[in-house]
Amino acid sequence: MIINGVTIDETFAEAFPMKGTRLIITALNAKWAMISAQAFTGFATSVIACGCEAGIERELDPSETPDGRPGVSVLIFAMGGKGLAKQVETRAGQCVLTSPTSALFSGLDNPEKEIALGQNLRYFGDGFQISKMIDGKRYWRVPVMDGEFLTQEKTGVHDSVGGGNFLVLAESQAQALTACEAAIVEMKKIPNVIMPFPGGVVRSGSKVGSKFKALNASTNDAFCPTLKGQTKSDLSPEVESVMEIVIDGLTKEDIDKAMKVGIQAVCDLGADNGIRRISAGNYGGKLGPFHFHLQEIMA
Amino acid sequence: MSALTFTLKAAPAQRVDCSLLTPDELAEKSVADIAAIELAVGNTVERVDSLFDISGNDVNDIKFSNSCDKLDFVGRNMTSGKITIDGNVGAYLGIFLEGGEIEVNGNTEGYTACEMKSGQIKINGNAGDFLGGVRPGRRNGMTGGVVIVTGDTGARTGDHMRRGMILIEGNAGDYCGSRMISGTIAVLGNVGSHLGYAMKRGTVLLTKAPSQGISANFNDCGSHTLAFLPLLFASFTKLDSQFAKVDSFSRVQRYAGDVGGIGMGEILVKI
Repeated sequence: MIINGVTIDETFAEAFPMKGTRLIITALNAKWAMISAQAFTGFATSVIACGCEAGIERELDPSETPDGRPGVSVLIFAMGGKGLAKQVETRAGQCVLTSPTSALFSGLDNPEKEIALGQNLRYFGDGFQISKMIDGKRYWRVPVMDGEFLTQEKTGVHDSVGGGNFLVLAESQAQALTACEAAIVEMKKIPNVIMPFPGGVVRSGSKVGSKFKALNASTNDAFCPTLKGQTKSDLSPEVESVMEIVIDGLTKEDIDKAMKVGIQAVCDLGADNGIRRISAGNYGGKLGPFHFHLQEIMA
Repeated sequence: MSALTFTLKAAPAQRVDCSLLTPDELAEKSVADIAAIELAVGNTVERVDSLFDISGNDVNDIKFSNSCDKLDFVGRNMTSGKITIDGNVGAYLGIFLEGGEIEVNGNTEGYTACEMKSGQIKINGNAGDFLGGVRPGRRNGMTGGVVIVTGDTGARTGDHMRRGMILIEGNAGDYCGSRMISGTIAVLGNVGSHLGYAMKRGTVLLTKAPSQGISANFNDCGSHTLAFLPLLFASFTKLDSQFAKVDSFSRVQRYAGDVGGIGMGEILVKI
């Protein structure tokens, strides 16, 4: 398949099951809601070493938030419910509770599977915390130095998908980066997904395993342009740079949509802008059960 | 199917225990079966059809017409369905209510919503003493649900209340929120004396300051913007109540007490 001079490889991205939740962070104004959300989603690019993958889904208008203040919705994913609960609690405690004027709510209802949100953070109140049941949901009012930190007690957990991806193969670093930036602009318009790496783009895509026993992932040498003559390379001579966009989503369908608009944005730049191929991280079935076939998505 | 209607033939001389006339108790009973049910009346018993004219057959939609304040325990232990009462009703309306809805177009006697667990009670009139309260010797009053009173309430509203919400569109009597453990009482009108007496935790929300001031057992914590109040007002908008029309506010003067006890309760007054 070729779109605007860009070859779409007959391959698939391989993704794996995760547990995810959406949180809504509000503050006195949009600036401080974003600061808190950025802190919460910091150091959360990959479960390989961060324990979770998290990102900002979108900014929320005051009419969309529980307390009528400006907000930001974030998505956070981990390999299991316990891991997710630990990450949510520590990040909420250190990054949202501490952030001036913030409040924290669940953005995903699932009564059958919930994890603690403010359930344990309340103890920071040292006995002065106050519980309020409103519309069947429990909230905690924790006294803090700027007033009160309001947080919902629990948030729902959703069976999710992590590691959806595609690779952009270009004639230069600058062209690969420009194409990825264009893709991210379009992908950010899709709900229920995040692109957890810096700016949504990862330049150090990994393969499963390593020659070093301590590592369970290592550089994807087949797509490293400087190794074209040293390893079993997947790159043609004219490709000088490869960048990857990784997508986590609440459902496989959400990732399908995000990949489609992202790849289309890259292809719109086309061969005239140095984009040669779109490929994907395919690990021969070692990584996970969710397969995103590029040509089917773009058909 | 039409509402199962019990029309009181004449005001009884003694108090009538109506706890057997709920959707749960009457499920799968024929009208003849219902007519033959014996209710405790004072120190004797009487058949339902000797006290009431019965019409309709929908046991999930029960109506009491021509009701009077001698009918006690209406809606006791009810878990679903609706009971509508046209006229006044006696004591212990909705005691132990676990679900469903009770609406009274009249006044209620004492202990309305006593130890209620869930569901909704709306009183289009006045409520007696110990609304949402606790039976003598017991530890927890109302533990959930919503009670709306369009008129006034008697003394000791929310006595030992543990959870849930009492919304009073009129005035609350003396000792409102007494011994309250948790939950929320909101009042649009005035409150009587000794507000929050022996209150442990919980919230009393007032739209205007009490004319007699706040009890010395409550300490002024200053004026604040509290983030939970907009959520609370948003939850009111679904209710058939004046509270649905109140403009949301989050600026309040906060008083903590009763400091004669653990002092973790709060009175919030709109500013």
